[in-house]
Amino acid sequence: MDNNIELQNVSKKYKGFELKNISFNVPQGCIVGLIGENGAGKTTTIKSILNISKCEGIVKIFGKDNIKYEKEIKEETGVVLDDSFLSDYLTAKQVNLIMREFYKTWNENKYINLLKQFNIPTDKLIKDFSSGMKMKLKIATAISHNPKLLILDEPTSGLDPVVRNEILDIFRKYIEEDETRSILLSTHITTDLEHISDYIVFIEKGKIIFNLPTNELLENYGIIKCSKNDFLKLDENDYISYQKGQYQYEVLTSNRNTIRNKYNITTIDKPSIEDIMLFYIKGEK
Amino acid sequence: MIKGLLKKDLYNLATYKTSLIIIILFCSIAIIGTESITIAPAIICGIVGMISLSTFSYDEISKSNKYILTLPTDRKELVKEKYILAIVATVLGGILGMVLTIIVVNIMNYLRPENIITLDYKSLVISTLGGIFAISFLQSVQIPSIYKWGAEKGRIQMFILVLIIVAILGGIYFLINKTNINIDMEMIKNFINKFGVWILIISTVIMYYISYKIAYKIYKNKEE
Repeated sequence: MDNNIELQNVSKKYKGFELKNISFNVPQGCIVGLIGENGAGKTTTIKSILNISKCEGIVKIFGKDNIKYEKEIKEETGVVLDDSFLSDYLTAKQVNLIMREFYKTWNENKYINLLKQFNIPTDKLIKDFSSGMKMKLKIATAISHNPKLLILDEPTSGLDPVVRNEILDIFRKYIEEDETRSILLSTHITTDLEHISDYIVFIEKGKIIFNLPTNELLENYGIIKCSKNDFLKLDENDYISYQKGQYQYEVLTSNRNTIRNKYNITTIDKPSIEDIMLFYIKGEK
Repeated sequence: MIKGLLKKDLYNLATYKTSLIIIILFCSIAIIGTESITIAPAIICGIVGMISLSTFSYDEISKSNKYILTLPTDRKELVKEKYILAIVATVLGGILGMVLTIIVVNIMNYLRPENIITLDYKSLVISTLGGIFAISFLQSVQIPSIYKWGAEKGRIQMFILVLIIVAILGGIYFLINKTNINIDMEMIKNFINKFGVWILIISTVIMYYISYKIAYKIYKNKEE
């Protein structure tokens, strides 16, 4: 499978923060979710991929160096940033007139149709839009030149569940239209990723904690709830971390079936991605 | 790509339409009141030139540079576009001031044939060039300052820089006076009459060029 994004040992140092040897791929036809706490390094990773921020290491997009072929790559990439857009003092109509100067493949009809589909007014200033409308406009702008790659930084934060679902539908449709496309989606709302992502990359304090297929995470990981005595019987190599509650221990394992057979434990809960993330951050070992 | 950046800034600046009409009216009244042909080009090119820099504030509010760097453009084009906008706005402001002066003076001369205002085109051109030079100086200091310190802080830093430059020039003038160096003022006057226009044009170009190089160097290494 070809990769649309390849990161090898990407590092970046700020005052009080360091991105350490980040390596992962975004294969064609896949949605990769980048998760982590606020300040974990998700946005820095995205900025490094897009050459907004200088970094050490190798970043390849469509197999090409991201600095040497920057303009060529950006011609085929659509980006949505949570906190940044062209200007709040423009209308959606003016955005169309501006964007067609940037992209050779800008599809005006597609953009207008998307605006209609999302019920976005064309003559109202963006600053008067609701958060959901703003995000839909950003997405319409990002996909109207038919990019091969979408990079989305927190596209669903601050949105209500209905709008979030609508937006996730847009991403699903976008990826289904062409199997060479891919999406890199950074978010801290992990429930969104359970429904649409193929891989999850978890970053914590500038380091990758895991990079796994979403199915594997949801199918193989498990949470065992047990007493102190039962917990003490567990081999350290059989679990990732544990949390001590008032009456019981909660233990995260990456191999539900093995644990079930080995220790004869019948109830092992299926964790959500959020649960897994919390165990990695807060859990003890 | 620069066309797209220019379009974005011009749409943002469209909010200044009413202000520009008010400035034109104000300048027309000033010409009528003072019967001066040098006032409008300086004021209009000054205001229009400085308004063009307010696009930096729009960019800062919307954090648009971060987004723009995800589009098929680069930092060099971003900086270049700001200079194109600033230069075009200043020159157009000067031309607008000149045209306004010619129109207002001609209307006044038509309405008041007993009190004709002489329209000295050479003085008009020189005063316009002087205005453009002054604004280009301010812009050349201010644009790199904004890239370095941001739109708000950049303005304060610019005033400090201008004050330092004025103090240095004042100091040189003071030293020359103090040391009783004989300067042939007549010769300087003749030199300015002969080459003044070219000196203004060439120094304006050099100032913008140096300023652009500095601004790009600052922005090249800046984190968005």
